Amino acid sequence: MKEVKKLTLGLASAAALFSSSLLAQDTVKVGVLHSLSGTMAISETSLRDILLFTFDEINASGGVLGKMIEPVVVDGASDWPTFAEKAEQLLAQDKVAATFGCWTSVSRKFVLPVYEKYNGLLFYPVQYEGEEMSPNIFYTAEAVNQQAIPAVDFLLEEGYTKFYLIGTDYVYPQTTNLVLFEYLKSKGIPEENIGGGLRKENGEVISAGKYTPFSHTDYQQIVADIKSFAAGGDAAVLNTINGDSNVSFFKEIAASGLTADDCPIVSYSLSEDEFRSLPTADLVGHLGCWTYFMSLDTPANEKFVENFQEWLKTKAPSSVQKEGRVTCSPMVLSYDGVYLWKAAVEAAGTFDVDAVNAELEKGISFDGPGGTVTTQENRHLTKNVYIGEILEDGQFEILESFEDVYGEPFLKGTF
Amino acid sequence: MKKAFLLFSLVWTALVGAVETGEIRMLLEDLALERVEDQEATLQILADSGDEYVTAFVDAWRVGEIREYEPEGSELILIQAVSGKYVRVATGEVIQISNAVYESLEKNRAPRQLRRLLTRVTDTIGLASKDVNTRVDAALKLGASQDPEYLPELRKRFEVERNGTAKKAFEESIMISLLANAETQEELIEAIARLGELHSIRAKDKILAIVDSAKEAGDEALLAAAQKASQEIADHEELLKHAGSFFRGLSTGSVLLMVSFGLAITFGLMGIINMAHGEFIAIGGYTCFVVQGYFSDWFGEGSAAFQWFFWVSIPVSFLVAGGIGFLLEKGFFRFLYKRPLESLLATWGLSMVMRQAFRLKFGAANVQVANPDLLLGNFEYAGISMSYARLFAIAFAGFVCVLTWLLLTKTNLGLYIRAVMQNRNMASSLGIPVSRVNSMTFAFGCGLAAMAGAVLTQIGNVGPTMGQAYIVDSFMVVVVGGVGNLLGAGISAMGIGVFDQFLQPLLGPVMGKIIVLGVIILFLQWKPGGIFPTKSRSMDD
Repeated sequence: MKEVKKLTLGLASAAALFSSSLLAQDTVKVGVLHSLSGTMAISETSLRDILLFTFDEINASGGVLGKMIEPVVVDGASDWPTFAEKAEQLLAQDKVAATFGCWTSVSRKFVLPVYEKYNGLLFYPVQYEGEEMSPNIFYTAEAVNQQAIPAVDFLLEEGYTKFYLIGTDYVYPQTTNLVLFEYLKSKGIPEENIGGGLRKENGEVISAGKYTPFSHTDYQQIVADIKSFAAGGDAAVLNTINGDSNVSFFKEIAASGLTADDCPIVSYSLSEDEFRSLPTADLVGHLGCWTYFMSLDTPANEKFVENFQEWLKTKAPSSVQKEGRVTCSPMVLSYDGVYLWKAAVEAAGTFDVDAVNAELEKGISFDGPGGTVTTQENRHLTKNVYIGEILEDGQFEILESFEDVYGEPFLKGTF
Repeated sequence: MKKAFLLFSLVWTALVGAVETGEIRMLLEDLALERVEDQEATLQILADSGDEYVTAFVDAWRVGEIREYEPEGSELILIQAVSGKYVRVATGEVIQISNAVYESLEKNRAPRQLRRLLTRVTDTIGLASKDVNTRVDAALKLGASQDPEYLPELRKRFEVERNGTAKKAFEESIMISLLANAETQEELIEAIARLGELHSIRAKDKILAIVDSAKEAGDEALLAAAQKASQEIADHEELLKHAGSFFRGLSTGSVLLMVSFGLAITFGLMGIINMAHGEFIAIGGYTCFVVQGYFSDWFGEGSAAFQWFFWVSIPVSFLVAGGIGFLLEKGFFRFLYKRPLESLLATWGLSMVMRQAFRLKFGAANVQVANPDLLLGNFEYAGISMSYARLFAIAFAGFVCVLTWLLLTKTNLGLYIRAVMQNRNMASSLGIPVSRVNSMTFAFGCGLAAMAGAVLTQIGNVGPTMGQAYIVDSFMVVVVGGVGNLLGAGISAMGIGVFDQFLQPLLGPVMGKIIVLGVIILFLQWKPGGIFPTKSRSMDD
């Protein structure tokens, strides 16, 4: 009898050992490539958090093709060459099946050749300037016609006739403003009603709007310029300033006495997550345009927010900040990206990048927190677009929504 | 006399009686709860009432201070928080509910469309406001709308207005309205000419449009008038731009002066290349944030005492950073006096450690420091406006200069400092406690940096990397001014500030900054010692 007991025990422990080693084999590595230090860490850390949450959620319901997702988290450190280096590490060393990452367009431009060289797959979740379509990147991000243009349409409809363009001096604001400049002209807005200045070379406009460097703090001159621009009324500001500079900009605006009623500001790079470090009192009444707002009143969104908060409380690793967390569009587009990848992998029956790409381009739908998103042949997403007004609690009140907007990356010269 | 007063008060009550605040309150509550049938008529009644409660309500509505409350067995009502009490909107009666209950109530929000309609209502009411600025604002907005409906009211107000500024604003808005509503050609030309004389920047676009249409129609007289007026306005705008640039330059210069004065002492006088200078500025910012937290706990954010947090935090940040500086001098900087290269690396490391410490304590995100009421808004004179926060920064920079000058020239410590800086060994042999003087001087420099940080909370952000934004500028100012010369630092800060602001409108902020740095490099080629080079007979220098 004793022998039998010993035997069963031995067998059981052997089985346990076996199954655990089997479990270890039964995972698929997925890369997370965001800045966890440096200036961009404020925004990008939230994307890492939401990705970890999504992986846990998927693993709890059986994983992808029966395999558990094993995240490989690397730090791009807000330094663009580091992004390329880490991407190479993910692809060559860890051999990840897919990567979710990047925030600034510069970082994406740096890793793009790496993904093309190794035939990897990157999901990019943050609104960007377009004019790009790599076979190794899938853009869950808002294209210009899913953010910048609907917001301008909304303002035109409200009767605004003068637009001031201002941004941080790098590829996203420069390109977006050029597209907006063309779009505004196509809508019959004369050149002198587009503020911020134009730079021409050989008669061709090469830069529209006013630009400041990253971490610029002195906005006196620009705000004085905006004030005299808006003096005649019916003027609005289209703001593509990134990061900390927004604090100085909005403080200067508030002090100048310009209110959201006189001259609304649409900020393209400010979402609920950024409001945590901005003086929201100075932002009340100004506008935002995204494909998701935390204030969306749908059961899907309610459940998503609730699950994320629950995860923060119970499962999140200790390095994740737990208090005062919100959700925002780049977070939701990261979340959608993981589920779309899962669906594509399951449809293809393999993790092979080419097969997954083929499935993605066929058109896969996912009911995300911001509404249904559908992949397109041009590697972008069809999704809903919302315009919101900023409230004093750092949330948006939704003013208008456009359903199923087709993502169109190539807009320059099409108006 | 008494009789006249009685008569007056009778008339007054009759006038006010016609308005009926109670009725207005009722209407507002119904409007917000969508219980009115004819929205347009309601808005008209509200506008005609001239009741300032409408404005107060709309302001509260906008920021979510109107809540929906359903007492048991009664219909839904609206509640507004008024100085710590909860008041029903429709009746003005106090409702007894606890703080927690109020906080849990649903916010009632004005739909955007309705709010835009309401701005017309509040502007009409604002025309009669007791506050000059409100009157000016309201008049200009109604004028800019060019709606003929408001012309009679504007004209009436213009006649009775006594205040010069407001009278000018009324006149300007009447003329702007006339651009679209003039009955005769003469009236239009007259309005254009008057707007030109008034240098009305608000009318510029509209007059330019008239220039275009007059060209098309071939109307010579109108064209001439419009061109003349638009030229006058453009000239004035140009003048304002330059004058404005000068004042903005002073403000930029005083920010530079504030942040670099501490460094002018630690680097300039003591010769320590302190790369952690920016983090001492950040200490000031964070101290201000912490003091704000205490004040909010002690007095509550709405109270008058809370407003004092900012003024208290300035000396507190001086003491905190001074204390930290004192300890660091004793335990760290003391060993670096004769090793400038090592001090560069060591203080750079210190700066990273301090930044990480801020991150651990306060989080990576920026923290918010409120503006005290006194520093909100702006001061406007002859079309040039400057925020009170920036004016305060200019005044504060002046204060710092005077304080430092007094310390260095009128106190014993100042005498010691100057002696030690000139010749450490000689001063020591004359019985000056050199090591204590070093600690005190360094602490003073750190304290100045932190006070600058506290003031900067009013115009910029407070975060772990806030000091990094200023460190390069600080060194630039000190080196250009001449290392070891405080007056030089002052002059170079102001010079760089004004130069920068004059270049900005011409070249843009990015190119402007590059040119400023380029000019500084050339300047230092020409005068390596800065504006005021230190003269010395020492063989080492």
